[in-house]
Amino acid sequence: MDIFDGLIGGFSVALTPTNILVAFLGCLLGTAVGVLPGLGPAATIAMLLPTTYVIDSPVTAIILMAGIYYGSMYGGSTTSILLNLPGEAASVVTCIDGYKMAQKGRAGAALGIAAIGSFIAGTVAVVGLTFFAPPIAEFALKFGPPEKFTLALVGLLMAVTLSGSSIIKGMILLVLGLLIASVGLDPVSGKTRFSFGVTELQSGFDFVTLAMGVFGLGEIFYNLEKTLKTEIVTTKVGQVFPNIQDWVRSRMAILRGTAVGFFIGIIPGGGAVISSLVSYAMEKKVSKRPEEFGQGAIEGVAGPESANNAASSSSFIPLLTLGIPGNAAIAMIFAALLIKGITPGPFLIKENPDVFWGVIASMYLGNVMLLVLNLPLVGIWVQLLRVPYRILAPVVILFTAIGSYSIANQAFDIYALLGFGVLGYLLKKLNFEPGPLPLAFVLSPMIETSLRQSLLISGGSFSIFVTRPISGTLIALLTVLIIGQVLFSLRKRRKS
Amino acid sequence: MKKSYEKILIVAGLFFGMLLLSGGAIASEDKFPSKPINVIVPFAAGGSTDLLARAVEKVWPKYSSQPFVVINRPGGGGVTGTEVVVRSKPDGYTIYLGYGSGHDMVMPHLQKLPYDTFKDLVPVARLSIHSIVIVTGAASPFKTLPEMVAWAKKENKPLTAAVSTRAGSVDITLTSLGKAAGINIVTVPFAGGAEAVTALAGGHLTIGGGHPSEVIPHIKAGRFRALAVATPERDPALPDLPTMKEVGVNIANWGSIKGIAAPAGTPPAVIAYYETTLKKVFDDPEFKKMMADLYQPLQYQNAADFGRFLREASADYAKLIKDLNISLK
Repeated sequence: MDIFDGLIGGFSVALTPTNILVAFLGCLLGTAVGVLPGLGPAATIAMLLPTTYVIDSPVTAIILMAGIYYGSMYGGSTTSILLNLPGEAASVVTCIDGYKMAQKGRAGAALGIAAIGSFIAGTVAVVGLTFFAPPIAEFALKFGPPEKFTLALVGLLMAVTLSGSSIIKGMILLVLGLLIASVGLDPVSGKTRFSFGVTELQSGFDFVTLAMGVFGLGEIFYNLEKTLKTEIVTTKVGQVFPNIQDWVRSRMAILRGTAVGFFIGIIPGGGAVISSLVSYAMEKKVSKRPEEFGQGAIEGVAGPESANNAASSSSFIPLLTLGIPGNAAIAMIFAALLIKGITPGPFLIKENPDVFWGVIASMYLGNVMLLVLNLPLVGIWVQLLRVPYRILAPVVILFTAIGSYSIANQAFDIYALLGFGVLGYLLKKLNFEPGPLPLAFVLSPMIETSLRQSLLISGGSFSIFVTRPISGTLIALLTVLIIGQVLFSLRKRRKS
Repeated sequence: MKKSYEKILIVAGLFFGMLLLSGGAIASEDKFPSKPINVIVPFAAGGSTDLLARAVEKVWPKYSSQPFVVINRPGGGGVTGTEVVVRSKPDGYTIYLGYGSGHDMVMPHLQKLPYDTFKDLVPVARLSIHSIVIVTGAASPFKTLPEMVAWAKKENKPLTAAVSTRAGSVDITLTSLGKAAGINIVTVPFAGGAEAVTALAGGHLTIGGGHPSEVIPHIKAGRFRALAVATPERDPALPDLPTMKEVGVNIANWGSIKGIAAPAGTPPAVIAYYETTLKKVFDDPEFKKMMADLYQPLQYQNAADFGRFLREASADYAKLIKDLNISLK
């Protein structure tokens, strides 16, 4: 009963005209941020933090920032699907089948299912947040360094499955991604690695620059070679929304993605990326048509997009119930609340029930707003593909260059973007599916840091990874998966 | 064939156009400040230094015509962000908040940094000193620091300790505690105080250290038990908590000093502007209340005093590191 009373109280806070307006503003900004390459939710919230100082009510401030955060997850899929341009780590996976769908003239279906999946996932995750936040938060705390290491390892294995037909090519990209990530400061000791005396290399490469280069620019460079076929795409954009068959194929993927995203999203650090990877791999495994994955399978968009939205909602759980910020964007919200004299944590629900329940209620509202906002936008976004390629491509290059420059305000990143674009072009020429590269890059610091932390804790013994229940289970699961895969491919070879 | 050359030229042109534009921003300057001030915090959002910066950011507009824009540039235990300031134009529009932290006072004695903490930066003002509180999980078998030492000796196993960064002020505190008490404390570095506290809250390590703003909420929630504070005096935010000296471990340190610095070569008039404006911020009742809520003591010093204070602290840390024979593994 407490929960219902709380939620009703929350709605009475969230439904004031100011808070409705602010939630809408947050969702709108979030969508814009998600669409623009390079500008992430953390950077946007950071820029807007000073404006929240003048907002008197802390609930209003957090409603605005939360809207930007989960709204950006909705928008994130747009450029991935239309332009093969992932704005953030969690939407890399969406590029693979989403962009293929767009090339086949099914951009509308892909965007539509991403929006619907996001809505379902977002709403289900908020329901989970409403009823189970405290016990689930305790579960999140159980993920120490050894558990994070094995989880990241699972993520890495899933990343290989993105490589399409060739496991070897996937492995090559994995190693390349890990190597590129090791440039810069050692995350544990703070010593500089592989910088060769170049100042800009000391802070390493940025994920957004890498992903935009390898995917977006690589694609453009590749297209420069041939007579452009945009005409073919544009004639087929007529159908804007997913049809019944799309929905039937996607609905279970959406539900599975939601569950995966909700649970993995709670874990502080890297939850959204891993959940989108796990969801993609899962869909490919359970699908009756695994060969369609990588060629424009709608489940490959529906699952991961649902997963990263569910993860963005559930990542509020450790913040609201334990006072633990799980990622950079949530940490900004954490800081803003503390400055307002509100301490997120176990006492929040008692001391500031209006904040706790107000933000939860606003998330129900926000998800509806985002759906209403995004479905009509699908029609507009699809029209973008009618823009002649000779105009579209330079505009994309301009925006990616601005995006990577804006990350650290240094021109070096534009050269890096160009370099990664050439790399993406070469990969495409050599028939590599680039997905595993940026994902290994993102997971690398998590793997390295948690491995070294675990070994410091255990005094150098690797047994720490198998003797702890969660990490031991994950290792067992990994072993079964790998052995199963090997046996499966052996049998397939014998047959043929 | 000719067509595709044209395309490549267009792409190349766009790229270099962008690069030219990025270098060409020239601002006209007459009276300081005539444009927003970029304040680099070399640590993640939500940490104790970031919160201090946010508190100043909030009150600053009352006393200055230009905004105080906080930019988080975490990495390398603080080195990455500090280096951004060192390499920026010394015009006063890029300053560093957090001067006096572990990577300024402790790290230079243990490893080579890409800049000189004293020669490449000039002190502007001291804002606060964050003490270091030694904590353990609520389920741990000891309740005080002497009990901890006795337990570690009896068990004869290394004590794992969560610290915010390698060679930072929390790391040096716990390492020196182990050396002084004759027990083996293995410090495990995380990416900032928030992550270290999270791992300790999950029970993955035995003890940990953190600044009051990071650990007090967890102490209040009953998740952590405070053992001692590592400054020479008790922390006003935790008046019942004894210092290490009081409980028989004869070391103390300077805590984590938080001040503001500017790149070397910044005009003295600009430094003076900051000194006076920050003093006004310090006397503001709203600022005082925020700092109390964040468990951060107000410890203003002007540029000259702050400079002397930092050299003294650095020399003291050097002596501690030498006396206890501490090195980076």
